[in-house]
Amino acid sequence: MWATNLRIIGIVLGVLALYTLIANKIPQVQSEVPKALNLGSNVTPEQLVSAGDQLFHGAGGCTACHGLGTRAPNLLTDEKGLGPIGARCGKREPGKDCKAYLYESLVNPRAYVVPGYEPIMPEMGRTLSPQQLWALVAFLESQGGTVDVSASDIPAASAAPGANSGGGAAGAPKSAGIANGSTDPMEIIRGAGCIGCHKIGTEGGAIAPNLTHVGSRLSQALIRECILKPDTRVSKGYEKFVGVMPKTFGNMLTGAQLEALVQFLASHK
Amino acid sequence: MTDGLLVLQAAADTANAYRDFPVIGSRAAIWIAAEIHLMFAAFVLGVPIFAVVAEAIGIFGKDQRYDRLAKEFTRLLLIAYSATAIWGAVLVFLLSTLYSKFWAYLTAIFAVSMWVYVSLFFVESFTLYLYYYGWDRWKYGRSKLVHLGLGILLNIWGTTVMFIADSWLTYMMTPPRDITPETSPTSIKLWHAILNHTWMPINIHRLIGNVVFGGAIVGAYASYRFLAARTDEERAHYDWMGYVGNFIAISALIVLPFAGYWLGREIYQYDQSMGITMMGGFMSWLWVIQAFLIAVLFLAGNYYLWVGMGRIPGAERYRPYTKWLLVVLVLGALVWGTPHTMIADSRELAAMGGSHHPLLGALGVMSAKNTAVNLMILSTFLSFLLYRRANIRQVVPWAKTGTRIQAGMFVIAAAIVLFFGIRGYFVEAIVRIGYSVYQVGSVLACIIFVTLIDVLMARGAQSLGAIQWGKMPPRSQYALFILAVTFTWLMGLMGFARSGIRQHWHVWQIMQDTTKYAATPALGYAAIMISTCVLIFLSLVAFIFWLGGLAEKSTFVPAVSPVEAPHVGD
Repeated sequence: MWATNLRIIGIVLGVLALYTLIANKIPQVQSEVPKALNLGSNVTPEQLVSAGDQLFHGAGGCTACHGLGTRAPNLLTDEKGLGPIGARCGKREPGKDCKAYLYESLVNPRAYVVPGYEPIMPEMGRTLSPQQLWALVAFLESQGGTVDVSASDIPAASAAPGANSGGGAAGAPKSAGIANGSTDPMEIIRGAGCIGCHKIGTEGGAIAPNLTHVGSRLSQALIRECILKPDTRVSKGYEKFVGVMPKTFGNMLTGAQLEALVQFLASHK
Repeated sequence: MTDGLLVLQAAADTANAYRDFPVIGSRAAIWIAAEIHLMFAAFVLGVPIFAVVAEAIGIFGKDQRYDRLAKEFTRLLLIAYSATAIWGAVLVFLLSTLYSKFWAYLTAIFAVSMWVYVSLFFVESFTLYLYYYGWDRWKYGRSKLVHLGLGILLNIWGTTVMFIADSWLTYMMTPPRDITPETSPTSIKLWHAILNHTWMPINIHRLIGNVVFGGAIVGAYASYRFLAARTDEERAHYDWMGYVGNFIAISALIVLPFAGYWLGREIYQYDQSMGITMMGGFMSWLWVIQAFLIAVLFLAGNYYLWVGMGRIPGAERYRPYTKWLLVVLVLGALVWGTPHTMIADSRELAAMGGSHHPLLGALGVMSAKNTAVNLMILSTFLSFLLYRRANIRQVVPWAKTGTRIQAGMFVIAAAIVLFFGIRGYFVEAIVRIGYSVYQVGSVLACIIFVTLIDVLMARGAQSLGAIQWGKMPPRSQYALFILAVTFTWLMGLMGFARSGIRQHWHVWQIMQDTTKYAATPALGYAAIMISTCVLIFLSLVAFIFWLGGLAEKSTFVPAVSPVEAPHVGD
């Protein structure tokens, strides 16, 4: 019986040792905690780039998608001859410089979904501080472009309303919010990235309800509610996209912009 | 998360919000306490399901052996319950002393459910005492049905207790989106917190997982008693018991991936980044390990069946098929274990020539993996089917037609799985995800209808000879041990995955962990912790089994004709 007992103990220990050994032989990746940055007013672009580099390749978790080029564009390599992200970021959106584009892409990633990819990126303002966000912007700018993030951007971001919840106004330094504060509805729609998901007329995507005739379905009040609290009313067939539309437009749009947008959409019957 | 709140949380940490545990640290202490408590909890929830089903088979099949089997395991439950409660108390004390601020947060939301939990645990314990100690008193007639009712009640209490505890841990993973770091925990409605995204998927996943676990532990217990048996009769009894345990474990295992898929989908729907962290981020290698473990389970479970066919007269007809089943299982395991997207450094990317391996990368996508696992499930089901009908010859006039229909169902199910698996490469991800439903549906339909036909075909079947229970080589019993150890280890690994995707958050994006243990460790460290917990758990279970043997001698009873024992499900 002792022989049987020893054999059983041997099998149990052998199986445990085998599994432990295999798990220790594969690449060891630890999920780091994002280090809180304490950047002073004399922070240099190099320090920002270095901090952003660590975040991008570590605790920021960016490489899980952006390091592959399948789930999201690879930001560190050339894409379609446009160069890495630092070289191409300034050409993404008309009227939006590289810095503003990158910051907004971090805090409101669904504003600019690159064609061919799904809107899966989380709002990084929920998990990273403004200092960390700006460090990331500096690092991304350094990938083929010029780093123009400076210490003056960081307090501005911290002080801006909605900065911590991903407010886009904060993310567009030295500009006046979406579409530079324009009240032209189509400029707002393009600037806010609505057509990344919604179709209106001939423009836009098909992963959210078509807005071409939205005025025939919803009243002005409901349209306003849908912009400000997108998850309160979900169109039939789009239930699985609940949570995708940003809830931050209340902070990002000026009152005049919001009303112009609501009236414009309500008139599309 | 706001900077201000981070600062406040950090400040609170200096005010004894955390304490450290000597030598191993507070994370390891909580890890061990929680995991061993959960393993015992799975045992005491899985085995009563097993016991009550066995008792019901005994009553309605008029087979005393099932009744004795159920009683034998309920006896072990008495001791296991104490161990569960002790480890639960250890966990609570460690949480309240080492992570007091977090514990205060949880209790502020869930206090009422905790009171209900402990009351139900009390009721459950006394139901168990009644169930066990009333076994011989309420043995016949209507009172036996009342006794069976007690067993069902025991399971209801146990499942409710589990559902309550699940609400706490799922809240930590997927708190409702309207709750923010600024939300006062006392203002959160209890039911709102309970009804979070992953609560029900975890409930169902654990319920099925407990059945698998209970079956595996029963199998290991039986295999030990088989190896220690001194008489042929005793060996026959424990051989049969091991078969029953393995049958239940593998049957429930077949369903488990579907529940896991639902859970995964809910995680993705709640927060894409959490899903990506789990499947493609720092945890991506974990799924390669999981695939290896599942492959071990499928192979060991099937191996046990194939060896077992050696004791069934007539089974030699089916032996040539087993090598093909082995081929499908091995190929399926290789595909399932093929990595797709994972964190790679620039050197590794350069070596692969891109983010994916040029050849194997195609096998790493979900289309290939879903196809592989569904074909493995179909193969395992076919093994069971061959085992089931090994010693019978159907006499119903439509037997040949029935067999052809069964074969046709297998072919159609496999064809559907393959068709959608291949088509998945040519459509968008959102469409591809939907295809898995068709694949799973076809496999489940095949299992249900083929079983139904088989049961009808077996009516009045001619026996080719009785199963020679006990005529099993010892190596088959070691396969049952490997199954039990692997199930337990897999449970620990999946627990790490579920808990680890929160990363450095106690409550996802609401309350962060600011201790020195906040970083989620790599798989190597996790594996050492899991193996330690499994070893402690199995040692304690072995002690419990030994105690059970001290308290009462083996309860096997020689049947009037032990060799005529029916298959499970007959």
